[in-house]
Amino acid sequence: MTNTRLIISSVIFLAVLLFGLVGRWVYPIDPISRVGGRLQPPSRQFPLGTDVQGRDVLAQLIHGTGTSLAIGVTAAGIAITIAVLIGVISGYRGGLIDELLMASANIVLTFPAILLLLAVSVFVPVRSPMVVAILIGFTSWPGPARAIRSQIMSLKEREFVFLSRMAGWSDTRIALVDLLPNMMAYVFTSSVVVMSAAMLAEAGLTMIGVGVTKGTSLGVMLFWAQMSDAVRRGLYWLFIPPGGVLTIACASLLLLATALDQFFNPRLRER
Amino acid sequence: MNISSLLAAEDVKAYYASSKGFIRAVDGISLEIDHGDVLGVAGESGCGKSTLGNVLMMNVRPPLRLLGGKVILEGKQDLATMDREEVKARVWGRVIALVPQSALNALVPTRKVGHFIKDVVRYHLGFSTRETMALAKKRFQDLELPVETLTKYPHQLSGGMRQRVVIAVATLLNPKLLIVDEPTTALDVSTQKQVLKLLSHLRTEHIVRAIVFITHDIAILRQIATRIVIMYAGKVVETGPMELILQEPAHPYARGLIHSVLTPEPMVRQRGLLHIVGEPPNLLQPPPGCRFHPRCPHSIPICSQEEPPLIGLGRDHLVACHLTSHSRCWK
Amino acid sequence: MHNFLRYFIRRVAFALVALLFFVLIIFALPRFIPGNPVGVLVSKLALQGQTDPERIQAVYRQFMEEFGIGLPLWDQFAKFIVQLLRGDLGTSISMYPRKVSEILALFLPWTVALLLPAILVSWVLGNYLGALLAWRRGSVFDRLTTPILLTLSRIPFYWFAMLMLFAFAVHLRFFPVGGTYSWGLTPGLNWDFVLDYLRHYALPFLTWVVICLGGWAVGMRSTMIYELGSDYILFADTLGLPQRKLLRYAFRSACLPQVTELGLNFGFMLGGSLLLELVFNYRGMGSITFQALSTLDYPLIQGIFIVLAAAVILANLVVDFVYGLIDPRVRTGYLRR
Repeated sequence: MTNTRLIISSVIFLAVLLFGLVGRWVYPIDPISRVGGRLQPPSRQFPLGTDVQGRDVLAQLIHGTGTSLAIGVTAAGIAITIAVLIGVISGYRGGLIDELLMASANIVLTFPAILLLLAVSVFVPVRSPMVVAILIGFTSWPGPARAIRSQIMSLKEREFVFLSRMAGWSDTRIALVDLLPNMMAYVFTSSVVVMSAAMLAEAGLTMIGVGVTKGTSLGVMLFWAQMSDAVRRGLYWLFIPPGGVLTIACASLLLLATALDQFFNPRLRER
Repeated sequence: MNISSLLAAEDVKAYYASSKGFIRAVDGISLEIDHGDVLGVAGESGCGKSTLGNVLMMNVRPPLRLLGGKVILEGKQDLATMDREEVKARVWGRVIALVPQSALNALVPTRKVGHFIKDVVRYHLGFSTRETMALAKKRFQDLELPVETLTKYPHQLSGGMRQRVVIAVATLLNPKLLIVDEPTTALDVSTQKQVLKLLSHLRTEHIVRAIVFITHDIAILRQIATRIVIMYAGKVVETGPMELILQEPAHPYARGLIHSVLTPEPMVRQRGLLHIVGEPPNLLQPPPGCRFHPRCPHSIPICSQEEPPLIGLGRDHLVACHLTSHSRCWK
Repeated sequence: MHNFLRYFIRRVAFALVALLFFVLIIFALPRFIPGNPVGVLVSKLALQGQTDPERIQAVYRQFMEEFGIGLPLWDQFAKFIVQLLRGDLGTSISMYPRKVSEILALFLPWTVALLLPAILVSWVLGNYLGALLAWRRGSVFDRLTTPILLTLSRIPFYWFAMLMLFAFAVHLRFFPVGGTYSWGLTPGLNWDFVLDYLRHYALPFLTWVVICLGGWAVGMRSTMIYELGSDYILFADTLGLPQRKLLRYAFRSACLPQVTELGLNFGFMLGGSLLLELVFNYRGMGSITFQALSTLDYPLIQGIFIVLAAAVILANLVVDFVYGLIDPRVRTGYLRR
């Protein structure tokens, strides 16, 4: 059961990945220049029609998927790095540092990224995908940080850590050699989950206007769909493809995470 | 079968169904509990004694299955033939009560103790709130428990207090038989004494007629048990009056168990400590013949071939060991 | 009571600190970019088409006054706080000379009217559904419903909203296609208006409930299953108490973490509701936020920021209050949250 889930989710996600990264060579139309009439429904020439500015929707979808994936990876990378740092320090040291770090985590946790982006929006009106990715990363660390912290708190009571301490190892060495390798599985699974959340967040934030304002992403496509009143006007090719790809990408990532979790769990109990 | 027995189990078999096969936790156990008994059920962890406790009151739920045997209540009713709902409504709480392991978490955390008691009494007896509280207060006073605990939440009580309160609640309806599972584990010595005092009080005041005391701590049984049953790997290996078993255990396993605990008995001090080697067996595929034979220092060939039956050694003293039917040369 | 007060006062203190923190952020941001912040902002006004130089000068002076540029930083902050306490959120640039608080007052009630009932209904229904699924765990009902709920939760809520609008309003025409109420009607407590509003309200409300319900249900189900295996349930069972009583005990214990979750998720739900309003063209905070962003109207954005932050903090405080009432450990002083 585990293995089938792992395989299916990996295959699906790989397909999305290929679509986003390699698709542009298979379908080399430029996503940002005008290639046809506005708001054309799908046809032989334009498999997914054109948008409000006459741009090819399929080309946008390909590039947009690539960008969204890149945003996901970047945001996850940042978030997990911060989460590991804070989680390990907080869990291992305990005491006042722990309380302070966790209090700040709570504040960041209850506040949606939207607020931060809202505040920044006027002064950084032109936001590239990377900028948004960084901001999302900086607001996504509390969840994983908390979980990592509790894992560290239980790991540090284990015998092999005690032995290392007796042997006079420095805290940093214990953290790197004893604690981290035992957490790798969890960190990896966590990254997958955060990546999915980041991609979803980017799309939502961009749709409302606080997210990406430069370049194409799945969120940008949805934004323009909303601006062109696509739903009400029945222009399905503008909103169904980006939402669909986003759903497939995120769902497969989450499925992958649960499969990985099951796969790794027996191993976590060993040294 | 003794007509005056309160509860009699005949060849009861209860297994856990697992993906790897049946875990034979209770494998053909017969015993009798008479009025006035405090039956100590002793054995290592995993020998099936907790399962036995549940089976005696027919608390059998998947993956546990009853595969055979009878459990006869007061010589009249075979509980094994009743369906679970019936047993639950008619027997549990009123005739037989069970205090499970980890009684420390047995009280509903979102209810004050008094409120929980109200639920139990109201359901079984239909008393009003006032009557229930009067009953609870009187019972707590009789058992020397502070009446204020009734107005407290479980987390406000200490571990020992919780254990005693749980026992008090379990016996509110005056069940004839009380089964307690490891009531003194995880408690310090003085609290243990309080719990034992409570249990013996319950018996002397005739609130309950008999107690089944399940534990892995043989030493405790000295203080309260009247009869002892020693279990090993799902089977009874020895049973008899408490002093007899503790002073002259016949079964090699029983001897190892009892003599591994320091007691002030002069005979034990002379003999020194015995040590049982090895691990308890896998209940999925227990060893053939006598289940203890791989660890027994006195085993003879027949031990690995045939299961020893429970044979009477003397007055009320039964042992399941091939060596008893031969000479006693191992003494 | 005394324990509860101690607990609650701590939560209020924490809330005030959080609020101060956010006010500080929004205060500091424009003042730490290089150059004159007001100049930057007013130049945006020029971009919006305001070309009359006299007008721009007047606006410029007014904003300089409001922002307190030229005063030392501490005085600026004090002025800012005083203005906030008076309920003055500044003047809008894009809709000059209207005050931000006036503008927001037009949109906020509609958001509250949609969001609060949706949250409450989905939470209550979701928890009951979750408890039902836990009780009937493994049954056909459970094996069908739980996977469906899980799948539903994987769909991005904004896309789901678009699909709902597309399916039920555009194609099936069960509901009007977006908007808060029909053109030409003015809000009032008359029957005509209320009915019309409800027709427009129905689809966004239902969509929101469907989106959130699954999450609560699945979470409650897990918690209930865990609680139903607890020692106290087993003990109560052996005392002969009936199944419905056991379920009640487990439910009460399981509700506690669900209340905490409500507080934790509120921020996310608030942000989400803004987006949802946009999709349904429901004229609440969502649409004014979108508008403020597209016109780069800083005072308006600042006002929205403060209102949203305050809303999240307030909601968390209310949740903390309710939690303090229902968790016996708080009332007896045994919990350090």
